[in-house]
Amino acid sequence: MKKLVSIILCLLLVFGVCGTTLADETKIVFCVNIQPQLPLEFWQSIADRYMAANPDVKVEIIGNPSSNVTLPEYEKTLLSTNQFPDVMVMQNPADFVPSGALLPFEDGELDYLVDPEVGKIGGKQYVANYKKQIIGVFYNKDMFAANGLEVPDTWDKLVAASDKLLEAGIQPFSLGLKDGWPQGQLANMFAGTDLLAKDLHWGAKRNANEVKFNNPDLVKAMQKYQLICTKYSGDNITGITYTQMLEQFFNGKAAMLPIGSWVNAEVAKGLQDFEVGWFPIPGDENANVVSVFVNEGLSIGAETKYPEICKDFIHFFFTDKELYGEFLKSEQLFSTTKETVEYEMIPLRKEMEEIIAPMLAVEGFESMTGDDAFLPGLKDYFTNKLTQNIAIGADIEAELNAFDQEWEIANEALEDAQ
Amino acid sequence: MKHNKLHDVLLVAPGYLVYTVFMIIPLGMCFFYSFTNWDGISKNYKMIGFRNFERLFQDASFFNALKVTLIITVITVLIYNVLGVFLAVILNRKNRVCAFTKSAIFVPTVLSSVVVAFIWSYIMQTDGGIINTVLGAFGIPPVDFYDTPTHTIIMISVIISWNGLGLFLVIYVATLNTIPQELMEAAEVDGANGVQRFFKITLPLMMPGITINSVLSIAGGLKQYDHVKVITGGGPGGATQTITLLSVEKAFSYNRRGYSSAIVLVLFVLIVIVSVIQISITKKREVKY
Repeated sequence: MKKLVSIILCLLLVFGVCGTTLADETKIVFCVNIQPQLPLEFWQSIADRYMAANPDVKVEIIGNPSSNVTLPEYEKTLLSTNQFPDVMVMQNPADFVPSGALLPFEDGELDYLVDPEVGKIGGKQYVANYKKQIIGVFYNKDMFAANGLEVPDTWDKLVAASDKLLEAGIQPFSLGLKDGWPQGQLANMFAGTDLLAKDLHWGAKRNANEVKFNNPDLVKAMQKYQLICTKYSGDNITGITYTQMLEQFFNGKAAMLPIGSWVNAEVAKGLQDFEVGWFPIPGDENANVVSVFVNEGLSIGAETKYPEICKDFIHFFFTDKELYGEFLKSEQLFSTTKETVEYEMIPLRKEMEEIIAPMLAVEGFESMTGDDAFLPGLKDYFTNKLTQNIAIGADIEAELNAFDQEWEIANEALEDAQ
Repeated sequence: MKHNKLHDVLLVAPGYLVYTVFMIIPLGMCFFYSFTNWDGISKNYKMIGFRNFERLFQDASFFNALKVTLIITVITVLIYNVLGVFLAVILNRKNRVCAFTKSAIFVPTVLSSVVVAFIWSYIMQTDGGIINTVLGAFGIPPVDFYDTPTHTIIMISVIISWNGLGLFLVIYVATLNTIPQELMEAAEVDGANGVQRFFKITLPLMMPGITINSVLSIAGGLKQYDHVKVITGGGPGGATQTITLLSVEKAFSYNRRGYSSAIVLVLFVLIVIVSVIQISITKKREVKY
């Protein structure tokens, strides 16, 4: 018996010492967004470079375990189980800020960014925005030329071009609802052109309940979106995935692909046998508005034991030019840092930069940031319910009324929580 | 050997502990949170009485999810039990063809539901799926399995049934084997034909198996999550969303854990009510011999 007690005591002593050693180690957990273009190895390379430069710090990488679980869902699970990371890729800060989960940056701490003010919530910045992405229409230049079409610069011309393609037996647009989110990009484009271009901070007014989703501008935008979905996107939009959308376009089955600039990564592979062009979705009179996503970046958990190390880690990410350049190259992204970061750009990416230079930039409707951001849950409602229902022919005003009702519920929940 | 109560308690304690930690406590917490406005991530929440339940019964998406869940449950229960009993009777013979067929039907049961859902997603893909590729080779236009929510729900129900039928078949075959052969022989001597023997002897004596399989299939249908999540994600526009999918969406996308708990609690009550009714009906029909 004495022998058994001695063994147990020794084991406890050993584990106690190990526990103390582990507890004393400076370790930060970094939650990342694992995607085909940004695999785990890429994020691990960031951690390795930082640890090489800071031998006293250990960076552990965690990521959403499956493509069926979105990053915000995974982070919410971590938060509710007291495992919230120290540093994380953040896509929906508006969902987390009300619960006090994020640590705000102090003024001046993000001075290395071009616009450290973008996306402030209640006057505080919670995200170091690391990329800009634009949404618009990729098109098959060869197909357009063969059918005598020019890049449409008004809505009527876009409809006329689509009709001409249909007459020629070509599917004008490649769109699919099966994955839930890609169709939302087209809806975002029209909402940006017909609604946000008139009022850049319309989102804040909606949050203050001064305006409604069911308004003439958004109704018009959704009518255009519905027409593209129901008339010009093939017969089986509900069964098409994002991957199939890409296949339809790059295999030459459809002439246009309304999606984000991240598709440049596919263009860069050069597997298509035609030249790819790009244009922003046109408005009624002209095409001078571009929707820009600036909603994603790096955030720090409010409960972290090492806030300064986390800030240093984020600073390292942006200022290690090779690392940040590699990140930007992955999806041919637009930089957010003051210092220019060079990377190998494809010609289309440079062309896009020239096209949008004189245009009015509005935020991506579903992912507006800061005080303009949708209330918690409404982004998912927009992509999973509203844009899908409208795409299959639902009554637009009824759907927008339902969206307004959803806003009431989300607002009530938010008020209760505060 | 002297009966030792402490010994009994120690033997059952691990089971009770696991059951308490993973079932009783979460269920209690779910019950508690259903009366709160907890968002799932804040430290604070308020007790809001029955407001979540009031809202639930005014929520069109809940009733749509309930409808989808019930359709899936009815279709899968019918396939598992009607086809299961039929196949069990047909295949309850000792020859190689029957043994092979039983094994073939059982194979999908050992596959993960997520794997099965992915496989069938690719098979039924509208553009480039195996079925449509084969049809295309014969000049037949492609079939859009996702053209309407009703078609999609039926398609999913059939996939779920394909995945799970093997287990139900095994239970039915096992039940069939408990029926004394003398009863069949006596009925045959008395002049009963095959149909009469099935309805008067086989079916009544299979009631214990039917009771178990009905409870399992009804509860499984009402709890359906994984196949739908992989095949449609509940879309388009929530048209194929089940109750479990809705509750997860409300909890993790909409930050409404209290409301989500209310949904789960209603589902729990529904399963209990349906199971109790179903057991009481089938138990009455069980025959002792």
